[in-house]
Amino acid sequence: METLFAVLIGLLVAAGVFLLLSRTIIRVVLGLAFIAYGVNLAILTVAGLRQESPPLLTLEGPYVDPLPQALVLTAIVIGFGTTALLLTVALRAYQVAGHDDVAAFGDNLARDPDAPDGQHADPEHLSPDMPEAEDADETDIQMAELERLRRITR
Amino acid sequence: MTLAVLLPLLMAAVCALLARPLGRRTGYLAALGFAPALLLAVPLAGNSVGVGGTPLVQVTNWVPELGLEFAFRGDGFSLLFAVLIGVIGALATLYSVAYLSERERFGRFYPFLLLFGGSMLGLVLSDNMIALFAFWEMTSVTSFLLIGLWHTRSEARDGAIKAFLVSALGGLGLLAAVALLSIAGDSTSLSGLDLDAVRASPLFVPALLLTLLAAFTKSAQLPFHLWLPTAMEAPTPVSAFLHSATMVKAGVVLVAKFGLIFGTSALWGGVIVPLGLATMFWGSWRALKQTDLKALLAYSTVSQLGLLMALYGLADAEGRFAATAHLLNHAAFKAALFFVVGIIDHEMGTRETFRLSGLRRKLPLTFAVALLATLSMAGLPPLGGFISKELFYEAMLHAGPGFIAVAVIGSALTLAYCARLIGIFFGDFQAPEDDGGQLLKPQIHEAGPGLLLPPALLAGAALLFGLLPASAEWLTRRAGAALDFAGHGGHLYLWHGVTPALLLTLLTWGLAALLVWQAARVYFLQVHLELPISSNRIYRGVLDGLNTLASRVIAGTQGLALPDQLRITLAAAGVMGGYAVWRAPQVFQPLEPLPLSTLPIAVLLVAGALGVLLSRNRLTAVILTGLTGFGSAAAFLTMRAPDLALTQLLIEAITVILFLLVFRYLPGFRSLPRSRVRRVIDVGLAGAAGIGTTLLILASLRFLSPPISPYYLENAYKGGGGKNVVNVILVDFRGFDTLGEIMVVGMVALAVGSLVRLGRRGQARSETDTVPGTPDLQTLDLQQRRS
Repeated sequence: METLFAVLIGLLVAAGVFLLLSRTIIRVVLGLAFIAYGVNLAILTVAGLRQESPPLLTLEGPYVDPLPQALVLTAIVIGFGTTALLLTVALRAYQVAGHDDVAAFGDNLARDPDAPDGQHADPEHLSPDMPEAEDADETDIQMAELERLRRITR
Repeated sequence: MTLAVLLPLLMAAVCALLARPLGRRTGYLAALGFAPALLLAVPLAGNSVGVGGTPLVQVTNWVPELGLEFAFRGDGFSLLFAVLIGVIGALATLYSVAYLSERERFGRFYPFLLLFGGSMLGLVLSDNMIALFAFWEMTSVTSFLLIGLWHTRSEARDGAIKAFLVSALGGLGLLAAVALLSIAGDSTSLSGLDLDAVRASPLFVPALLLTLLAAFTKSAQLPFHLWLPTAMEAPTPVSAFLHSATMVKAGVVLVAKFGLIFGTSALWGGVIVPLGLATMFWGSWRALKQTDLKALLAYSTVSQLGLLMALYGLADAEGRFAATAHLLNHAAFKAALFFVVGIIDHEMGTRETFRLSGLRRKLPLTFAVALLATLSMAGLPPLGGFISKELFYEAMLHAGPGFIAVAVIGSALTLAYCARLIGIFFGDFQAPEDDGGQLLKPQIHEAGPGLLLPPALLAGAALLFGLLPASAEWLTRRAGAALDFAGHGGHLYLWHGVTPALLLTLLTWGLAALLVWQAARVYFLQVHLELPISSNRIYRGVLDGLNTLASRVIAGTQGLALPDQLRITLAAAGVMGGYAVWRAPQVFQPLEPLPLSTLPIAVLLVAGALGVLLSRNRLTAVILTGLTGFGSAAAFLTMRAPDLALTQLLIEAITVILFLLVFRYLPGFRSLPRSRVRRVIDVGLAGAAGIGTTLLILASLRFLSPPISPYYLENAYKGGGGKNVVNVILVDFRGFDTLGEIMVVGMVALAVGSLVRLGRRGQARSETDTVPGTPDLQTLDLQQRRS
């Protein structure tokens, strides 16, 4: 049974990744949902699938492992949270960009809407200014020094 | 000893706190931090450690499992150097009180200085090699901070970065060397190394070369000398303390101490002695060319460090004896000279040689101090520098004719630049002017006692070492047992009789006189004789190249549109995961007969996935996703997890409702095809991800350790009072996890709420409100490519 589920989970994850890489924003959200389905099942599968009682103490033992179930329960809820957030962000991105093609989201989302000249919200640091090489353009100093030495030794 | 290392670090915190109310008087407090280091003079003077006794050892465990401990071992050499650090550190701190401007940020300067002092003391006293490395790096960092103290100047920033990069390179070398040594010698303690095992080990040569890399970068030896002249952007007390007397000698100390390990190899001396002498020559040649007095002293330091390196590199008793004597002399005269240049800068407003002359008349006391220190640096009698220079000649005479020739030429150049340095005190006095003919300082007067006393003390020491050589010899002999030259019969005398070394000294004087006589011609030659390559040019080339490479890599792989970015990320993950799968032993379970009930579940799961991939309608897609959701709920049931199945069903329903709500505001599925190449890549990536996940699950089916679940099954009722074990785990055993989960959901709700409100017309400040929509994909693509 583990082998069967391993293959099924592989299929779910593959479908999820393919959707994740598509250009339509809703498909990206659905892709993540599919990966989440796969991962939830995987956590239970790796704990071993046995035909034993569910971990309810009212039933007769032996019981299956309760810990992965607790983890997955949390994961399902958090997964719903991320899907909801992603969906709203997708909506917002569509409103700002005017289209739902994730491959064409770019500069216009990164720009700061408050800046008048369309600057980036997070302007990159300019590289620190390097002084010229230490020996460059010292001719004046060198001439003055040469004069001085000539004066002294004359 | 532990106190000597820790007190400066502690005082750094105190000074940082008290700097605001105390102002420049913080310096007096800071000088107190060096008091325990000065007190180390007591055990140094006592016979117990000096000439042959057992060293002081203090060990504080840190992480004993890793062989990490603060082990301080005060042998004669370490204590001698520690006292030296204490003396110069205290003097530099007191000097800075009078030197720094009232507006200086004392809350930074003194803590940095004390942090450096503590790390340097730790570096010389550490017996544990890992702690040694840590202190080594701390001196690099504090040096960086001190050079960059006036960080509004671009030269200071540049100098700080250069010094840090070069010494960090050496630091990496030291880390590797320490690791190799502790593997080969089976100990992390310097004194506990099994020397025979180290010498027999194949790691011996790599460790030797890496140690040399560390020592050469720290002590500014060719070709790593480039950072020291630009480090002169630091305030002058810092230059005197770090970049002449102590930190730059860390490399020399390393060579001296590790010479006892590596010295048997011909490679050790074969690399150090020629490079040290080359550095000595090149440093003094460049020093002769400088017009900035501080730059002159910086190159002079490079040159003198080369001399010390060459002597310690000989790795025999004679070399170590001479080097230790010269180490003391150099610390005395060079720190004094830096202080003198600080006074000149402070009183005259410039330190350019061509603006200064006749200072003797205005600064008589400074002149006296400068004269003593310069004579010692030039190696003229009756000062300490003369005696150690004689010893240097003796040692080089035994090393070979080529070496002694370089040594003589280097010393003649040294004498010549000393003449230039002292030359500013002679001639007619002229008030220094800037380029526009304005006076730099309206009134010129002698420096106050706060500035004069520290260099005067050091110059006095230089004179004492010359007039009373026995004093220098007594100090040098303290390190005898530690550096294995206790049996060396040499002595420090002003007059050795007519020896080859004395004749060579006369030759040096002749050469130097020639150089001074023809100073203008020599200078003309120097200005026009430029090497096509310099370390600086290589440094900048490497730095620019790295920057360009980094920018190209980032521009090529980061900030792409989402799908392309994901492709790169997934491909990288695929490569790493693929390697892991390839290396991991695969175990396949025998296929057992499947219960019939699993068939519909499998169909549901796969049908949902395939359906979404094929669907052209968003509503269909969401409903088909739900199909997979129900499939996984059913799967949870067969996995004996009824709670999960319930939750999944509930969440599935809410998700579908949410999608439907959002669809009101979103356009329908558009046909946005991928290019053919991308489609192939995506299929490959998806397939790899799927196969990888399957293999990962199959590989992790075996338990590596017994499961912890029986604990929960046993205690759920007793401890948690519930019969549904999963529920008890969530609300009781792992209650904080669930609390965190609730908070996450709450935050999502807040974020969703505010994002949705932003979208309302009339309130939004989005581009759609201010700019007409940009559905034209052509221009969007262009914009993106531009970035």
